[in-house]
Amino acid sequence: MRIHGEHPRRLLSLLRGRGSSIAGLLSLIGLLLAPALGLAQEATSTAAVAYRDIPQLGGSRNIIWVIAQQHLLLAGFVLGVPIFAWVCEIVGWKTGEKRYDKLAKEFTKLLTSAYATTALFGGILLFLLIGFYPKLMTYLTDIFFPSFVVYCVLFLLETVTLYLYWYGWDTMQGGGMKVLHLFLGFLLNVFAFFIMIVPNSWATFQASPVVITEGSSLARAWAATWNPTWWPVNVHRLIANVVLGGFICGAYAGVRYLSVTTAEERDHYDWMGYVGNFIGVFGMLPLPFAGYWLMREVYQYNQQMGITLMGGFLSWLFILQAVLIGALFLGANYYFWLGITHRIPGAEAKYRKPIMAMLIILLLCLGVWMTPHSLVASLEEARKMGGTHHPLLGVFGVMSAKMTVVNLMILVTFMSFVIYWRAGKQETATWAKIAKTVMGGVLGIAAIVVIVLGVWGYFVPAIVRINYFSVAQVLITLFVMLTITPLTAVLLRSARTTTEMVWGRMPPRAGYALVMNAVMVILLMTLMGYARSSSRVHWHIYGVMRDSSQYAYSPALGYAAAFMSLNTFMFCMLVAFIFWVATMGDKGKAMDSGAKGKVPAGAFPAMAGGSAALDDKREL
Amino acid sequence: MSEVALLQLIGLCVVGVGVAILLFIQARFVRVVGFVIILLGIFALIALGVPQMASLPPAEEKFDVASIKTPADMATIGQKIFFSKGQCALCHSIGPSESARCPDLKGIGAKLTREFMYESLTQPQAYIYLDYRHEGPPKQYPARMPFINKNPIGLTNNEILSVIAFLQEMSGEPITVSPSEITQPTQTAVVIPMTHGQ
Repeated sequence: MRIHGEHPRRLLSLLRGRGSSIAGLLSLIGLLLAPALGLAQEATSTAAVAYRDIPQLGGSRNIIWVIAQQHLLLAGFVLGVPIFAWVCEIVGWKTGEKRYDKLAKEFTKLLTSAYATTALFGGILLFLLIGFYPKLMTYLTDIFFPSFVVYCVLFLLETVTLYLYWYGWDTMQGGGMKVLHLFLGFLLNVFAFFIMIVPNSWATFQASPVVITEGSSLARAWAATWNPTWWPVNVHRLIANVVLGGFICGAYAGVRYLSVTTAEERDHYDWMGYVGNFIGVFGMLPLPFAGYWLMREVYQYNQQMGITLMGGFLSWLFILQAVLIGALFLGANYYFWLGITHRIPGAEAKYRKPIMAMLIILLLCLGVWMTPHSLVASLEEARKMGGTHHPLLGVFGVMSAKMTVVNLMILVTFMSFVIYWRAGKQETATWAKIAKTVMGGVLGIAAIVVIVLGVWGYFVPAIVRINYFSVAQVLITLFVMLTITPLTAVLLRSARTTTEMVWGRMPPRAGYALVMNAVMVILLMTLMGYARSSSRVHWHIYGVMRDSSQYAYSPALGYAAAFMSLNTFMFCMLVAFIFWVATMGDKGKAMDSGAKGKVPAGAFPAMAGGSAALDDKREL
Repeated sequence: MSEVALLQLIGLCVVGVGVAILLFIQARFVRVVGFVIILLGIFALIALGVPQMASLPPAEEKFDVASIKTPADMATIGQKIFFSKGQCALCHSIGPSESARCPDLKGIGAKLTREFMYESLTQPQAYIYLDYRHEGPPKQYPARMPFINKNPIGLTNNEILSVIAFLQEMSGEPITVSPSEITQPTQTAVVIPMTHGQ
C-alpha cells in the first residue's frame, strides 16, 4: 500500500515542480487545437463559407484586430526607419559628422530583424483573413489580383535592396561607393513607399469603393486603386511613419540613456534622443494637415461616413485623439524645453518666461481642443444649460475653434524648436536685427490671422469655413514654417557660438518624456485605425459588401481602448525584443573591451559651460 | 458587474501595478515598462469615462418576391437596392450634389422610358450622354457606368425592375412595372423588349 501511494505523491510533487511548464504546455496544446475546433464547425456544411470563427480565442474579429494592428505598427516602423536612417546618413555624409552615419547604421541594423517580424505578422494576417473571411477575400482577390503580383515583386526588390544596403554599409564608405550606398538607401525608400501604397489601395477601397466596370484585370484593379481616399491615406501614413520612426528612435535612446554607465554612451544616447525627437516633431507638424485633407475627402466621398466619424457614435473618439495629441505636443515641447535648460548652460534664466508663456498657450489650446461638442450631463444639468451645449464652453466644441487651436499649437511647437535651435548662439550678420523683426512680425501676424479666421468661421456657412477659412489657416501656418526655417538657417550660418551645447546632462525625466511620446504616437495609430475601420460601420466594403457576421457591430470606445492599450503594449514589447536582439552583439563587444570609459562615482560627464570634448581632456 | 465597470477595475489594477513597479523595483527597463503600463491604463480609463456607444448593424433585409403585392412594394425594395447592393449611390445622387461623379437622377423616371432605363442598366455603353456641366466640349463622366446585371454588382432581373419602379416613383411618375413581371424562383426570367428611349 505504501509503495502504491508513492506514485501519486511523486506525480503530485513532479506536477508541483513543473507546474508552470505543464500549464504552459497545456495552454499551447489548447491554442493549437482551438483552430481545429473552429474549423470543425464548418466541416458539416457543404455550402460556400462566408465566415469562419474561433470563439475559443476571443473571436475572429478580435484575433484579426490584434494581428492586423501588430502588422500595421511594425510596417509603419520598418517603413519609417529607412527614411529616418537615410536622412541621417545624408546628413552625416554632407557634414562629415560620423555620429550621424553611426546612428543611421544602428537603426538599419534593426531593420533586418524588424523586417522579418513584420513579414511574419503579414503572413499570419493573410492566412487568418483567408480563413476567417473567405467571401470578402475572394471578392478583393478578384478585383486586386494584379496588384497582389506587384506587391510580391516589390517585396522581392525591397528585400534585395535592404540586404545590399545593410551588408554593404562598411564596404561602401569611400568616394563613389558612398554615393552608391546612398542611392541604395533612396531605392530602399522608394520600394518601401510603393509597398505601403499598394495595400493602402485595398484598405481604402473598402472604405471608399468605386464602381468597377468590365475590362481587363489590370484596368479593374487600377480603377479600384484610384479610389477617393487612396492618396490622402498614402500621404497621411507616409508622414505618420516618419513620426513613428522618429519617436521610437527617441524612446530607444531614452531607455538606453536611463541605463548607460559610460560618459560616451550617455552623450551618444542624449544626442540620439534629441535627433529622434526632432524628426518626430518635424513630421508631426504637417500631420494634422494631412489628416484634415483625408477627412475632407471622406466628407466629399460620402457625407454620411463623415458624419459617422465627426458627429456620430465616433465623435467622442476625437476627444480622445485630442488628449493623445495634446500629450504628444506637451511631451515633445517639454523635451525641447528640458534641452534648452539643461544642455545650454545659462539658458534657463533667459528662456524661463518664453517657455512659461508657451506652456500656458499650449494648455489653453489643449483645453479648447478637448472640449466636447455635447457635454455628458444629467437630465437636470442639461435642462439648466438649455441643452447639452454648455452656454460658455459650447462655443469651443465646434470645428472652427478646434482648427484654430491646432494651428496655434503647431506654431508654438515650431517656436520651441526655433528657440532651441538659436539658443547659445549670437547672430553676427549685419541684417540680423531686421531678420529677427521680420520673423517676429510673420509669427505675430500669422497667429492673429489664424485667430481672426477662427472667430469669423462662426459667422459663415460651414462650406465656406471648410473650403476657404480652414484651408487658409493651414496655409498660413505652413507659410510661417517655410519662411522662418530658411531665414533662421541663413542667419545662424554666420552666428557665433556663445555657449557650447553639453550632451549627457539631461535629467532622467527626459528619458521618460521620450518614452511617453512614442507611446502616444502608437496609441494614436491604434485609435485612428479603429476610427477608420469603424467608419465603415456594418460594411466590409462600404455600400457594396455587407458584414453579415456576428461581429458586424463596432464596439464602444472603452472596450476598443482596452484593445488599443493591449496592442500598444504588445508592440512596445516586440520592438524592445527586436532592439535587444539587434544590440546583443554590440554588448558582447563592449564587454570584451572592458570597463574603459566608466563614469567615476559622483562625477558629471560634462561640466556646465564646457563640452564633452573638454571633459575628456579633464579626465586625462 | 457591467462590462465597463469590469474594464475600469482592470484599468485601475494595471495602473496600480505600474505604480508599484515604479515604487519598488530599481531595474531600469522594468521601471520603463511600469511607466508605459501606467500611461496605457490611464488612457483606457479616460476612454471608459466618455459615453459608451456601440454601433449596431441594422437588421438585414432580404429581397422577398412573395412579399411584393403592389408596384409601391417594388419601389420600396428598389430604393433599398439603389442604396445598397446596386451601388447606384456610390456615383449618382438624387438632387444636386458636388461630390456626385455621374448624372443627378432626380426626376429621371419622368425623363426616360422604362425600356431606356433598363437598357442603360444592362447595356450602359449602348447610348451615352456626355457631360454638359463643364465648359468647353462635352466630356465623359469621371466614372464609367458598369453592367448592373453582371459581376461584381450582378443585380437580378427582379432587382433591376424594382430599381426602375423606385426611380419612377421618386420622380412622381406612375409606376409602369407590374408585380406580375416579377419572376418567381422557379419561373424563367421575363425578357423586356429593347427600344431606345428619348
